Amino acid sequence: MKIYFIPALVCAGLLAGCEKPEPTTYTIPKEVRGSGTMSGEAAPTPAPAPQRMEVLPGMKEAAQAAPELTYTVPEGWEEFPPQSVRKANFRVSDASGQAEIAVTVFPGDVGGTLANVNRWRGQVGLDPLTEEGLNTVTREIVISAHGGLLVDLPGPEQSILGGILRFHGDTWFFKMQGPKATVAAQASAMETFLGSVQIEDQHH
Amino acid sequence: MSVLFKFFASLRLTVVLLAFSIVLVFFGTLDQVHYGIWETQKLYFESFFVVWSYPEQWKFYDQLFWFHLPMPGGYLLGGLLFINLIAAHITRFKFTIKKSGIFLVHFGLILLLASELLTDLVSKESQMPVDEGGSSNYSTAFRSNELVFIDRSHPEHDTVHSIPTELLKPGRHIEVPDTPLTIRTVRFFPNSAVGRAQVPVLDNLADQGVATKMNVVATPKEVTYAENEMNTETAYVEISGPDGVIGTWLVSNVIDERFPPQMVSLGDQSWEVALRFTRKYYPFRIELIDFTHEKYPGTEIPHNFASEVRISHNDPSKDQMSLIYMNHPLRYEGLTFYQASFANQDTTSIFQVVRNPGWVLPYVSVLLMGLGMCVQFGMHFFKFLRKRAA
Repeated sequence: MKIYFIPALVCAGLLAGCEKPEPTTYTIPKEVRGSGTMSGEAAPTPAPAPQRMEVLPGMKEAAQAAPELTYTVPEGWEEFPPQSVRKANFRVSDASGQAEIAVTVFPGDVGGTLANVNRWRGQVGLDPLTEEGLNTVTREIVISAHGGLLVDLPGPEQSILGGILRFHGDTWFFKMQGPKATVAAQASAMETFLGSVQIEDQHH
Repeated sequence: MSVLFKFFASLRLTVVLLAFSIVLVFFGTLDQVHYGIWETQKLYFESFFVVWSYPEQWKFYDQLFWFHLPMPGGYLLGGLLFINLIAAHITRFKFTIKKSGIFLVHFGLILLLASELLTDLVSKESQMPVDEGGSSNYSTAFRSNELVFIDRSHPEHDTVHSIPTELLKPGRHIEVPDTPLTIRTVRFFPNSAVGRAQVPVLDNLADQGVATKMNVVATPKEVTYAENEMNTETAYVEISGPDGVIGTWLVSNVIDERFPPQMVSLGDQSWEVALRFTRKYYPFRIELIDFTHEKYPGTEIPHNFASEVRISHNDPSKDQMSLIYMNHPLRYEGLTFYQASFANQDTTSIFQVVRNPGWVLPYVSVLLMGLGMCVQFGMHFFKFLRKRAA
């Protein structure tokens, strides 16, 4: 009878299932540390993806940001640990929703002010500007004793209010993005925050 | 035939077992609210016995807290049904062409039961997030963790010494394989809150690494079963060399690559120590060329997700391109890659990686059952036609 091979199959299955956890050693191709990609929140999708892990309370000065950047956190802003390219991370909520504030730094000019402003405009559903239109949305401000730009981009639903700072060959981005009303309500807090930012300056 | 065999071959047993199955599914569904699908599956269906307790969240818990209902678990019911079906076959069934349809249906059912068990026991699921333009050669199991010692001294490759965290029992000594190191677990928390203490901790269990440098402490927390939450596994581990204790480190799966590496040194050798979600490395690398996410016009409701990937295998003859999208997984090297999720404003695609050697069995069994029914009903039908014609 053919049926008899099934119990054998099941036994094989049981044996395979009983593999005990034990210490192992293996080699992997040379790995660049920190190339892991699990950053940012997973979006709602057909199959639930694990959300980012619980945030570490009070872990603010941790990780790489600490020696380079100091600032005062405005009232009502929640701070999160830096992750990957983000040097600092905040969230602020009100009745209209939640805005995120991220501080990032990249080497070089990252395509120039116009390209970056237009990149941000795209993120809130606005059409790109030309060089002439640039000064209608930007204002000069001082961040960490250097001249930067304050960029105000109120979109149809989402807005971005951000600072762009050229700093000894790097470009720093301070970006607040969220629902239009939330960003508008946090505008002065954002400016106060930008005023409090001190970047460690090894060039003077 | 013995009484026992008669008992196992009885159709009454079938009915009783099926009735118990209904009860099991009912109470399993009730408990799913509290434990989530993953834990419920383990408690109710991948077990021999289960005891249902009156839920704390319900009304009258104060009066009914003592109420417990023991019932047979999925393995017991499934196993007994399996034996029942085979025993019934042996006693009652004589193979004839006339009954070949029934035989096929039953054979398909047996195969289905066996394949379910096989899937339970050997299938493995993990996730692989890949950034657009980036690539990955490993997947991560978010429900299991490993303590790893990584030796990065070799110019060509890294060596990973891994200890599954199931083995981290407080007080127990474990040798780190292929190294002169031994560990002793001081404390182990399946879930915890890890954070910086506001004031210096006087009796910090750890005296090395991030715990002392950043004043990080861990406190245990209730384990979570929620589908979209993860447990922060944390351990205080004392590491010794051949000449005695080197120190005690705090390791946790939240102290990940956002933080500077925690190093253990012994003589001129050093290892990076970390507790992380269990990784499985593959002999190939998946590169995400493009991720597209279409929504129904004017809404946020997803319509389709698709990932265009390039696979580079250590053996270049196995290289290939593929498009992975909903209901269209990639089957490669005994693994199935499903489009599971995405993150980072549509620039990271997350694949569910499933290794299930028995994946084809349910299809075969359903085909067999379908074929069996066609044969059986077909024969009756033609007999009926012949009778009418006559």
